[in-house]
Amino acid sequence: MDDDRLTGPCCRPIRSKRSLGQQGIKGSCCRSVRPIASALFLCPLLVSCSGIQSALDPAGREAAHVATLFFTMLIGGAVIWLAVVGLLFYAARKRRVHSEKGAGQLILWGGAIFPTVVLAALLAYAVWLMPNIRPWFQEEAGSVRRIEVTGEQFWWRVRYLRQDGTVAFETANEVRIPVGERVIFSLRSPDVIHSFWIPVLGGKMDMIPGRDNQLTLMAEKSGTYRGVCAEFCGSSHALMAFTVLAMEPQDFEAWMAARQGASGAEDVEGLALFLKQGCDGCHAISGTDARGTIGPDLTAFGERGSVGAGTLENVEDHIARFIRDPGAIKPEARMPHFSMLPDAEIDRIAAYLKGLR
Amino acid sequence: MKSVIPREVESLWTLFTAPTVWALHFIVCYATVAIFCARGLASDISFDTIRLALAIFTLLALAIIVLSAYLAWRQWGFGSGDPPHDAPTRKDRRYFQGFATLLLSGLSFVAVAYMAIPLMFIAECQP
Amino acid sequence: MNEELGNFSPQERAAQEERLRKVWETPKGIRYWTSVNNSQIGLWYGVTAFAFMLFAGLLALLMRLQLAVPENDLISADLFNQAFTLHGTVMMFLFAVPIFEAIAIFLLPSMLGARELPFPRLSAFGFWSFLIGGIFVCGSIFFNAAPNAGWFMYPPLATDEEYSGIGADIWLLGLSFIEVASIAAAVEIIVGIMKCRAPGMRINLMPMFAWYLLIVAGMILFAFPPLIAGDILFEMERMFDWPFFDAERGGDPLLWQHLFWIFGHPEVYIIFLPAIALMAMIVPTFSQRPIVGYSWIVLAAVGTGFLSFGLWVHHMFATGLPQISLAFFSAASEAVAIPTAVQIFVFIATMLAGRVIFSVPMLFGAGGLIIFVIGGLTGVMVALVPFDWQAHDTYFVVAHLHYVLIGGMLFPVVAGIYYYFPFFTGKKLSDFWGKVAFWLMFSGFNIAFFPMHFSGLRGMPRRVFTYPEGIGWDWFNLLSTVGAFIFAAGVATLVIDILRPKHRPHERNLNPWNSGTLEWTNDPQESWGMRSVPIITSRYPLWDQPDLRRNIEEGRYYLPDAKSGERETLVTSVLDAEPIQCLRVGGLSYVTIIAAIALGGVFIALTFHWWIMTIGFAIITFIAIIVWLWTGTAPIPEAPEIDVGLGLKLPIYVSGPASVGWWAMFITMVGDGTAFASLIFGYFFYWTIHEDFTAAVPGPGAFWPIMALVFFVVAWGLTLLAREFNNKGAAGARMALVAAFTVTVAASVAGLAGPYLHGMDPTANVYPATVWILAIWTVAHAAVGAIMQLYCLARSFAGKMTAEYDQDIRNVALYWHFMAVTAVVTFGVIGLFPMVSA
Repeated sequence: MDDDRLTGPCCRPIRSKRSLGQQGIKGSCCRSVRPIASALFLCPLLVSCSGIQSALDPAGREAAHVATLFFTMLIGGAVIWLAVVGLLFYAARKRRVHSEKGAGQLILWGGAIFPTVVLAALLAYAVWLMPNIRPWFQEEAGSVRRIEVTGEQFWWRVRYLRQDGTVAFETANEVRIPVGERVIFSLRSPDVIHSFWIPVLGGKMDMIPGRDNQLTLMAEKSGTYRGVCAEFCGSSHALMAFTVLAMEPQDFEAWMAARQGASGAEDVEGLALFLKQGCDGCHAISGTDARGTIGPDLTAFGERGSVGAGTLENVEDHIARFIRDPGAIKPEARMPHFSMLPDAEIDRIAAYLKGLR
Repeated sequence: MKSVIPREVESLWTLFTAPTVWALHFIVCYATVAIFCARGLASDISFDTIRLALAIFTLLALAIIVLSAYLAWRQWGFGSGDPPHDAPTRKDRRYFQGFATLLLSGLSFVAVAYMAIPLMFIAECQP
Repeated sequence: MNEELGNFSPQERAAQEERLRKVWETPKGIRYWTSVNNSQIGLWYGVTAFAFMLFAGLLALLMRLQLAVPENDLISADLFNQAFTLHGTVMMFLFAVPIFEAIAIFLLPSMLGARELPFPRLSAFGFWSFLIGGIFVCGSIFFNAAPNAGWFMYPPLATDEEYSGIGADIWLLGLSFIEVASIAAAVEIIVGIMKCRAPGMRINLMPMFAWYLLIVAGMILFAFPPLIAGDILFEMERMFDWPFFDAERGGDPLLWQHLFWIFGHPEVYIIFLPAIALMAMIVPTFSQRPIVGYSWIVLAAVGTGFLSFGLWVHHMFATGLPQISLAFFSAASEAVAIPTAVQIFVFIATMLAGRVIFSVPMLFGAGGLIIFVIGGLTGVMVALVPFDWQAHDTYFVVAHLHYVLIGGMLFPVVAGIYYYFPFFTGKKLSDFWGKVAFWLMFSGFNIAFFPMHFSGLRGMPRRVFTYPEGIGWDWFNLLSTVGAFIFAAGVATLVIDILRPKHRPHERNLNPWNSGTLEWTNDPQESWGMRSVPIITSRYPLWDQPDLRRNIEEGRYYLPDAKSGERETLVTSVLDAEPIQCLRVGGLSYVTIIAAIALGGVFIALTFHWWIMTIGFAIITFIAIIVWLWTGTAPIPEAPEIDVGLGLKLPIYVSGPASVGWWAMFITMVGDGTAFASLIFGYFFYWTIHEDFTAAVPGPGAFWPIMALVFFVVAWGLTLLAREFNNKGAAGARMALVAAFTVTVAASVAGLAGPYLHGMDPTANVYPATVWILAIWTVAHAAVGAIMQLYCLARSFAGKMTAEYDQDIRNVALYWHFMAVTAVVTFGVIGLFPMVSA
């Protein structure tokens, strides 16, 4: 689909695929001209349209349905509210006194029958919508793409699964999916409850220790978006975000192929320093001896949108800052501080990581 | 027929009949699907059978509520007097109870009927 | 009619008043605090709750300052997390619920035409417990030890010792203590409303406020116990590592969420309904007519009360439960909007059919309604599952819940403060400052919370201590912060208006708003409540019963005197309010304060794992309660009957279902049974989620549980036998009691033998832990039952329990009915279910 055609007058599309730390994105706004409702309510009310993390600016099937539902309810709710408040004002200021019988009729019709009918219709619509936007996929439906996301305090472990369920490769704090295809996310947590939420694509699903939850999402528009943890999970709950790239299918396949062949061994000196300082105790980088599993996989780290799960923009300076003292940037982060290392070494490791493709 | 319909009871508890039916219906519906979906008891029973059974149960609950509404209507003197029923007499007290019970039966009826909507649209145990 | 009323000369009246004043006198000096009078307790309760609200409000301002601009570092993440946890906790547990217990305790007696609620010492005990628990919970933040895992305390975050430290224990134990106080208040309110109304006040003439409070107290009875059960499981996990919520050992964090929200959602309506109850008193007064749709209000109150228990999973729409389960809860959540709409339309209809006088209470009432309708509409939205998948845990929900609670609760409460201020001080608050406070609060509130709808839908999650720039939240947050401070200025204006010194009005006017309900005959100068207990023939007696006030004040109705020197009030029948008993209620006492302090000590010592101190305080609590019961309950009166005036003679001592004590026991045990049902729910919950719920751990076997079951049934039978024998003479009853006690002990031993002899290790897996908790629960109740048997024995020997005066044994027998059910269910389930399911 031609993306520019979808771009409304107040909007600027986000097309860049690189260095999408959320700091960098300002004033981005509604990329679709959603129903007239958005023209009516959104632009005047919300000053500008919403952005990379907005449920009102959908780029996925579920989010689109829910946004329509919301705008419908918003209009209906506004009318009801105005009617009730109008009635209240009239009742307070009127000249003539109404009969008790008439007032009783108002209770029956306004208080009981009207809500009963409206709520029944609304409920039926919403319940009908549920299996529609989150359809069931049987285990054996092998053709569906599966991504396993594990919420950790305070970052995201992302594993792309093959059709047979084995892990193709692992990455962190970044989810890439093809546009127009349904993806099943298997959601887990080893520590506390997190919640996986990509507002532009759809609703959230909790990640609960001991439970395997699933969420199916379908992106309809390519772009770079932002997801977050929606369940309070400790000190740095606010600093647990991830980048979402919805890619055209051919781009996605190309990236998958490239990613599986990625190697961090090109910068020999940088790698040596990385290993010497013991970073591989926790982190893995494909194509090298670094196979730690405690912390995020750092393969192709240079391509990622951010440092520290959506906390800082991915530039060398920030990487160095993070290595020096993660706790100062993310309270209670599990990674120890490395402030005892000479600045030069930290900078060198930062450069190595930024260079990983 | 007369013997089936209970005699009039002098108690505050009759007020709660219809909502109690709603509560029991609600618990049964929730517990049934929760246990079925979590444990898949007796795998030869399909989810559609469960839905059908619960739908029949819903009709039963609605019927009980209608009966309770009839009893309330009777206690209300079959609508022979208009509210507010605020005279300091035993009759008005009973009329008040009858009318309030009738209203509650109406609400309980709607609340039970709402429970049929999920049974209608959702055909799987899916999360 | 008037001829039938009493007629006293001025001298007689003065003498009566002198005696009444002496009996109901509030002591001076330090002894002031031993008062148990409902006016004092209500006032202390209310002031304390209001103070906690201001404290929690300050925490909110701190949070708003932190969130005013993106990437702010005004306060640390940890302090922010403590602040939002405490804000929610304090507002819910220490303000919203207690303020209504306060208002109810304060207003109900006058509204119902009673001198006092039936258990004034219980009210006092509840207040002192609340004060101690509240200070303990709030104080923790000054030691950087406040709970920090959110007011919902989800495990495993809240069971993580390293993260939550001692804060989680403070939350669990401090609040359990307060929950006990709330249940005590609920018992008091239910019995008070059902049994202590003025003669003639049939249920169709009861003030709306009483109807609501009756329903709310009933809801507390069913809503709080599941949380107490959850607290017990939680604290067992934290203290002794029993893995109820630990997934690795078969536990499940979701069980806590179920138990918490089974409490948590009715809680919202427990908060909201009494506020609407205040509105239902205010609107008719200022519409100058009776409420239109009295029966509709009853429908709304009862309907909401029931439906509110079918909503809890709508807080768990994103936990991955089957869609059909979610949809059931969505259906109930939509249905509950209907009674809520009815309530709003009842007020509008009453105004339509009346002549509305606009005043400060109405201003707050109408403003609250305008806000609340928005909250209700967004409530309908979030109750729909697909929308909630997006809105859940975002600022949209923050906006929604504050629209509901501030519009539906805080504004009506402020309306109530303006309305009832003359009731408890004889002076009005300022109209001018009232309007200033209203406009500041109303505009500030909307500026603060309306933008949150949009920041939420734009993806801002809740409970974040900071947020990045440029996502589209910056302006909304700044606006919210500005609004929050305007709102705070409004609240400050209100506080100043309340506290500023006021002139006494020139003429004494007990009913400045020309209200129609009975409480406006109350003289704030006197502590006796009603000068005499009137006969009621109208919903709005002050409008419809001429000379009512004069007749009350001249002592022409019931109980105009206090010759016996005891605090007396009337007990009437449930439906038609016919007088059936003259009840003597407890007076001044230190024992309530001592019991509350000692029980508080138990909970506080437990928090810090000071075991010896815990046991010490427990012993003091036990002694205090026994002394309280022994000296204060069921005393044998000097005569079987007393003249209550107007030629009516009523018994002083009644027992069985006619007595308030029996009802209190019944109601308490219903609540207790709910907690027990929650534990049983837990047992079956683990059964549903696991393929083999015993995890191949050996169970307690069938033999010992069945033995325990049989013994408990025998003990129950013997207790009932003791009750029967007691009618015929003391000897048989005493023997039966001794036998019952012995069998109870044997049954308890058998109950614990099952899990013990099979070596069930409660820390190994959730299955043994669940079996143990059920067995311990039952045996703990058996211990209480055994103490009751001994207590009756002692009363019998002391001559305080006789064939005629048998309240003690009848209440104990009632306890044992519940005990028997508990034992049969417990030992039936743990002994037989593993065999059935295998």
